Amino acid sequence: MKAERDSLPATVGKMATEGYDYLVKITAVDYVDHIDVLYVVRDIAASKDQILEVALAPQDLWVPTIMSIHPSADWYERELSEMFGIRIDGRSAPRLFLEKWDGVDPPLRKSFKWDVPYRTKETESK
Amino acid sequence: MIRMAITRINVGPIHPSTHGVARLVVDVDGDTIVNVEPHVGFLHRGVEKLTETRMYMQAPPYMEKLDYFAPMAYNDAYVAAVEAAMDIQPSEKAKYVRTILLELQRLASHLVSIGTLCNDLGQMFTGFMWAFKDRDIILDLLQEATGSRMFYVNMRLGGLHSELPADFEEHAITTMNYIEKRIGEYESYIEKNTVFMERMKGVGVLSSEDAKALGVTGPVLRASGINYDVRKNSPYYAYSKLYFNPKVMLQGDNFSRYKVRMMEMRESARLVKAAIKAMPDGAATGMPVKLRSPNAVNKVSVVSREVPRGECMMYLVADPQKPYRLSIRSPSMVNLAAISHIAKGARFADLFSIFGTLDVVLGCVDR
Repeated sequence: MKAERDSLPATVGKMATEGYDYLVKITAVDYVDHIDVLYVVRDIAASKDQILEVALAPQDLWVPTIMSIHPSADWYERELSEMFGIRIDGRSAPRLFLEKWDGVDPPLRKSFKWDVPYRTKETESK
Repeated sequence: MIRMAITRINVGPIHPSTHGVARLVVDVDGDTIVNVEPHVGFLHRGVEKLTETRMYMQAPPYMEKLDYFAPMAYNDAYVAAVEAAMDIQPSEKAKYVRTILLELQRLASHLVSIGTLCNDLGQMFTGFMWAFKDRDIILDLLQEATGSRMFYVNMRLGGLHSELPADFEEHAITTMNYIEKRIGEYESYIEKNTVFMERMKGVGVLSSEDAKALGVTGPVLRASGINYDVRKNSPYYAYSKLYFNPKVMLQGDNFSRYKVRMMEMRESARLVKAAIKAMPDGAATGMPVKLRSPNAVNKVSVVSREVPRGECMMYLVADPQKPYRLSIRSPSMVNLAAISHIAKGARFADLFSIFGTLDVVLGCVDR
């Protein structure tokens, strides 16, 4: 199900009142020409899942936080920000989550370069 | 009352009670926990990114290292996602064999959880030694079926690497009868221990509303009164054909989380026996590793599996040669994130009983 970025908190909030009040996962897929941010929400009583897709242009990477509706979004949003370079609007700069990457592109983007030399104390001092 | 200054205590990353490499930064007021901040990532290997560089059936060894106490369960979730992308259905026999092996894996994993919990709570060392001895008997069975005790990599597209050996069924039923008897002994030994019960009952309470809001999963969710188990709610393999009821407790405390696992072990032993009795004839072996690939570009498959620690969801975007993107929902990650909420207000010593009942594996959190 497609969702608009600007109205995302309202959409997620409305779905929560309709029974989809359990957040299963937030993740993203880099399709190069755009990035899909995916919100998997569940109605536990009805055993039904819905996946909300928010499409982002590569030069405009941000989504609003949904932490006020789903507190469990906290770690997923931090991961999204670190692994895809997506800014989470409404949150201060998230604390380091899984890894510190000094390359140009975040690790789960398709533009990520595998041949970036591994940083050591020796290479840093040069 | 004298109010003390807030003291910050670092627990880990190398600490026997974190069962892995996790760091908890704990703020305490006297003996009361004011805040807990988990720091993770010490075991981050970039499994999701690595998968994008491998052919489909080169990835299962990575999946097995996500959770070293239940490797087969994660391998199965991944293979099921690939099967869904390629429109492959496992044979009926393979569905039953997978059910049996996955329930044995759940038993082995829950035994580690119970054993280490006993250690964490000062019940050294009887509970721990009992659990590991019985886990070894389960591993004997898994070795008979797969040839390996720790990392199995036995799932293949459409089935398994090999058929079960001739005497496996008889051996498994004898072992399950023994395990059922042992679970009763565990309960009567552990639950008569005052120290254990004092640190379990009414400690680390997570209400059902909070459990939902924090997104916890598996035995942690069911211990808070929410009846959701992927095996029941979205049945796969032989679960739809076998009588099975998810185990639920209402109190949401440490004891409930421990007790749900105990009840699940009994149910797993019963399920193994029922699956063996109902297993159809036929072949369980799957396809040779390299033969198949999806014929569509960016084909999405979403598969959920109830692994011992909760729900593992694989979101796979498949390309003809390799996974384009694999996103893994780690049950340990969501359960660990909840510790900040659960431990607030508890005594510092109870942090480890709470951590133990969440049953987190850090390899799964960090991926």
